[in-house]
Amino acid sequence: MESITPQHFLILAFLLFGVGFLGVVIRRNLLLVLMSLELMLNGVNVALVTFSRTGQNLDGSLFVFFIMTVAAAEVAVGLALLVALYKKRRSIFSEDAGLLQN
Amino acid sequence: MEAYLPFSQDNLWYEIWPELALAVGSLVVLGVNLFSKSDSKTGFSGVLAICFQAGLLVFHLFDYLAWHHTFDRITFSGMLSHGIQGDVMRSFFLLASLLVSLIGHRYILKHSLRIGEFHHLVMLASAGLMLLCQSSHFLMLFVALECVALCFYALVAFNRESAKSLEAGIKYLIFGALSSSFLLFGIVLLYGVGANPEVWGASFPGSEARDALSFDYLGDLIRENPDHLLLRTGIVLIIAGIAFKIGAAPFQIWVPDVYHGSPMPITAFLSVSSKAAGFFVLLNLVNGPFAGAKDFLLPLLGFVATFTIFFGNLAACAQRNIKRMLGLSGVAHAGYLLVAIMASLIFPGDSDRAVWVLFFYMFVYLIASFSVFGVMSLADLKDDNEHEFADYENLARKHPLFGFALVCGIGSLAGIPPFAGFISKLLLVSVAVEAGLYFSLAAMIIGVVISIYYYFGWVREITFHPRPIVKDDEPKHDPWNKLSEIGVIKFVLITLTVVSLVFGIWQGPFGDTF
Repeated sequence: MESITPQHFLILAFLLFGVGFLGVVIRRNLLLVLMSLELMLNGVNVALVTFSRTGQNLDGSLFVFFIMTVAAAEVAVGLALLVALYKKRRSIFSEDAGLLQN
Repeated sequence: MEAYLPFSQDNLWYEIWPELALAVGSLVVLGVNLFSKSDSKTGFSGVLAICFQAGLLVFHLFDYLAWHHTFDRITFSGMLSHGIQGDVMRSFFLLASLLVSLIGHRYILKHSLRIGEFHHLVMLASAGLMLLCQSSHFLMLFVALECVALCFYALVAFNRESAKSLEAGIKYLIFGALSSSFLLFGIVLLYGVGANPEVWGASFPGSEARDALSFDYLGDLIRENPDHLLLRTGIVLIIAGIAFKIGAAPFQIWVPDVYHGSPMPITAFLSVSSKAAGFFVLLNLVNGPFAGAKDFLLPLLGFVATFTIFFGNLAACAQRNIKRMLGLSGVAHAGYLLVAIMASLIFPGDSDRAVWVLFFYMFVYLIASFSVFGVMSLADLKDDNEHEFADYENLARKHPLFGFALVCGIGSLAGIPPFAGFISKLLLVSVAVEAGLYFSLAAMIIGVVISIYYYFGWVREITFHPRPIVKDDEPKHDPWNKLSEIGVIKFVLITLTVVSLVFGIWQGPFGDTF
């Protein structure tokens, strides 16, 4: 019977990162874009924990906490900006945000 | 209590006193703003912030030039490394922060935005930038980078009454977060291989186990296994994350939009401090951990530099909005500086000539950018994001001083002989020749020639009167009618212009080292 190796976790991490990246690129709703960004960071966290486990090294597990804290701060700023933008424009879709053009 | 004393002594907190002072100062400014009722009118907290930063800059210059001559040292168990380069970068960021506060003070009061928060965020971002460029550990690098990025997200969207500023803030947040996740994934791949090289088919550098995130250890690891796939992927992802910050192609799409939407002092802050931080970090990386991957990085950086130079210059030619044009010309400058980074990668050692040429270029770029943005922030337009060429018509005749300062700044950015920009470009060319980067050099020279086209289109508007005056029924709005009311910015602009001219003719102690 085959067991789950670190490579499998790494593939999962890459997939999460890739799905998040596609979400940022494709999604039109800015709220979902922020969620996709979170997904990318979670992919990074999975990879970090895998490496921390295979390397018997706790630095990686510690790093995860920093990433979670920073991601929370980033989303807080992002949501605040979204609320302010919604009050101004009554829309959070990226195709409605086209004021900055040459 | 006794247990904390050795902890504090081991970590050498006094080595980061400028950062600590700046952070404490920013809190004091915020407190003054909070508890003083008339502060939004008088702007006392802003004056306090400016005086504090000026004092700190002078004190810091005396500290490392005269009192404690600087030497290389490592603090916080390898998290930070200080030295003469770190002190030069600190002075750079302090100077930039002081100038942003000076230019921003009047701008923020005029647009009735929140004065205390503005100075608070600028100072906090500067403290983060100072830590960022002295970090020698990827954890420190990430945390400092995010500290800076969070301040910048709030600053770009500072004018919450303007939908443009908010939109620029959202765009900067999304692209900034995207770039930091790329950077983070790169760091994680390097860490993963470093934590246990044998599992991933790499050979172990040295015998003793060391900190798998520190620059020293990863440098040894990359030197030992320059062909490892995961390590290479990690390096490419980290370079991509930094390329976002410096606005290098193909990651430059955010630059024109964010420059366009953000308030003018913040545009200046972005184009000088944020970009400089990216370059200083890149410099630390290519001279430290990534030095072993030279054969693989040089073609990559060469492609990015050439693409950046051509893209920035050609796209800037097509812009009608001046802020967008300056953003794209900043992209082109990033391309020129990448050539210096490549030269530094080729030269051995971490304090070679290319490093000092890059520092000189950054200082000259700072002086020129702030004289351009300083004059631009004085314009009294209906919508402050829309600076058109026509708004600058005949400025030299209406206000010779500001017209002259603006032309000097533009000339220095374009690299025209009497100004400092020419000398810094010349030094860059000489470094590129010395390193044998002839292809990038050719791209750079073609880029500079193209850039003269769009810079001088602007100069023509300022100095001559290209169009016949049309007699309209309604009087045309003059954006330059309240210039008699400015106080201290006039002296700042005069100083910047004089420094730009002096450095163009005489480089002082720098002249000998080059």
